[in-house]
Amino acid sequence: MRNIIVCLKVVPKSENIIFDPVTKRLDRSKAENQINEADKTAIEIALRIREKQGGRVILLSMGPPLFENFLKLGVAMGADDAILLSDRNFGGADTYPTALVLSTAIAQIGNYDLVLAGEESSDAALGQLPGQIAEFLDIPQVLFATSVEAEGEKLRVKRRIKGGHETVETSLPVMVSVEMGAVQPRFPDFKKMKWALSQFHLTVWSSRDLGLREEVTGIKGSFTFVRGLSEITPSRRKRVFIEGDVAAKSAKLAELLRERPRT
Amino acid sequence: MTRKEIWVVVERIDDEIEDVSLEILGKLTVLAKSSGYKIVGIVLGTAKETVLREVIRYGADRVILLKHERLNEYSNDLYSKVLFDLASSEFPTALLIGATYYGRDLAGRLAARLRTGLTANAINLEMDEEGLLIFGVPAYGGKIMAEIVCERARPQMSTVRPGTFTKVYDRDRKGETVELIPDLSSVQDRVRVIERKVTKSKDLTKSERTIVGGNGIGGDISLIRKLAELTNSDVGVTRPLADKGIAPRELQVGTTGYSLKSKLTLILGVSGSEHFTSGIRDCGTVISIDIDKESEIFNHSDYCVVGDVSEIVPAVIKKLEEKR
Ligand SMILES: Cc1cc2nc3c(=O)[nH]c(=O)nc-3n(C[C@H](O)[C@H](O)[C@H](O)COP(=O)(O)OP(=O)(O)OC[C@H]3O[C@@H](n4cnc5c(N)ncnc54)[C@H](O)[C@@H]3O)c2cc1C
Ligand SMILES: Nc1ncnc2c1ncn2[C@@H]1O[C@H](COP(=O)(O)O)[C@@H](O)[C@H]1O
Repeated sequence: MRNIIVCLKVVPKSENIIFDPVTKRLDRSKAENQINEADKTAIEIALRIREKQGGRVILLSMGPPLFENFLKLGVAMGADDAILLSDRNFGGADTYPTALVLSTAIAQIGNYDLVLAGEESSDAALGQLPGQIAEFLDIPQVLFATSVEAEGEKLRVKRRIKGGHETVETSLPVMVSVEMGAVQPRFPDFKKMKWALSQFHLTVWSSRDLGLREEVTGIKGSFTFVRGLSEITPSRRKRVFIEGDVAAKSAKLAELLRERPRT
Repeated sequence: MTRKEIWVVVERIDDEIEDVSLEILGKLTVLAKSSGYKIVGIVLGTAKETVLREVIRYGADRVILLKHERLNEYSNDLYSKVLFDLASSEFPTALLIGATYYGRDLAGRLAARLRTGLTANAINLEMDEEGLLIFGVPAYGGKIMAEIVCERARPQMSTVRPGTFTKVYDRDRKGETVELIPDLSSVQDRVRVIERKVTKSKDLTKSERTIVGGNGIGGDISLIRKLAELTNSDVGVTRPLADKGIAPRELQVGTTGYSLKSKLTLILGVSGSEHFTSGIRDCGTVISIDIDKESEIFNHSDYCVVGDVSEIVPAVIKKLEEKR
């Protein structure tokens, strides 16, 4: 197997994001960051394929410098190399320029057989970036994979479809997005973590390193814009607490459940 | 020039059209009423006349059939090719796709090839006088709704979450059908399907009464299945249960599962993460049982019971069996 490139994103834990209904702004300052859960699954799959088929696992992320330590965390999990695509001009990107920047970097890394990503990122929840990357690279794609096996020059992938599964086969190179939890990601190795933080040299590429003009990246290269934010208010629920012992509670529940639904 | 047309890619398996495609059409009939935009359904494969007629009755003013044997089953390579060719020559204002597995698989590649913006998983859709669509998208696990617009490129593309909009059926609606035969001789399908396993299960979005189990039910859904049977309800689960294989993925409720519209929903041992609660927003009466009185799920419930599911559910079952 040639290079295995894993696209990963660092995301804030959503429960820590505070929305200010007056200013209509998000306060992410209190949010703890983490590697997007599904992307960790992708790293694990990459490492397992490397164990069987060889190759180099290279982590790739587009984002601000704060992503650096998370890439190093991935290196401590066992990746061979990590590249951060970071540039002021990359900010505010929607999926189109994100896919463009990532695919340009993937082409620059070159010599790859497999590009892996997570099924979706928990903050954006689009899941449509992998298909865009595949298009820019002109390689086939298999999304929402639950298992990935390399067999010589081919890849056998089980993917989720409505109501079940499909097993598909593709030639290499191919883009695959994997479901969160498809395999259990390993923990970072403690010794490697120390090494990654002190010795490992993380590669950082800017738009110039990628030969990309400013107009095609970031907010300038985006087609979609967030025009406003609003809080999704839960529909007003009654919140009536049913009190009493188990018998009383279950009697009341049975009564509620016996009612014919209103039509 | 862009045409004053909004296209919907109609997903189907044989003669059965995906509900989400019809739901989008239904929403568009409401939006387009005042705007003068035409609604166009795009059907792929060798669909029967009856299928095309249904697409019209559910809201399309025009149906374009891309007729080819090789398009009967979804293929990322073939679908993106024919839809790109058609959209880049006819130039619709917008192109909408259901956010099913296949729909999301298709949307990214197609948007990239069309060099246009793509919004994902819309749960709201509005249109201004200029034909600009405003897509409402849940972000950060459904806590916040972002309004997304695509001003600079056409077609405006989005996938739409299943179960969000309501179908509108009109037996008497008339529309036009156009048949095109795409040239697929030069395209190869690079992904070969070897095996497909699909179980036909109940479509949760249509369920009238649902009992949802979460991690708090302790890995065994037989008890809630029994309660469901007794109360004529369907069973749903949170994602962890689907991840662990305790229940099939088709029973998953939430942002990456289905949205319920049940009149009566009983929720057992669920913590009430936004990923989950976004899927019960449109439910009628919601009853929850959780051992933790601080559980967030109670903020999304009409009736709240603090207690152990493994104690209360058997007691409820007993009560229901007594009085039958
Ligand atoms: C990208 C992404 C997408 C996601 N999509 C979805 C989705 O579509 N649907 C979804 O559900 N989740 C989804 N999640 C996961 C979601 O964030 C939560 O982790 C999940 O909903 C929690 O499930 P739960 O409430 O069953 O389990 P827990 O959070 O573990 O909650 C269990 C609850 O049961 C209670 N309990 C425990 N024991 C008992 C008992 N004996 N009796 C009564 N109560 C008891 C506990 O007090 C607790 O409230 C997604 C996450 C990500 C990152
Ligand atoms: N900025 C980014 N850098 C690298 N990979 C990314 C980035 N954003 C998204 N991805 C990858 O694309 C997948 C799908 O993301 P999304 O389309 O945003 O839901 C994620 O799980 C990541 O693997």
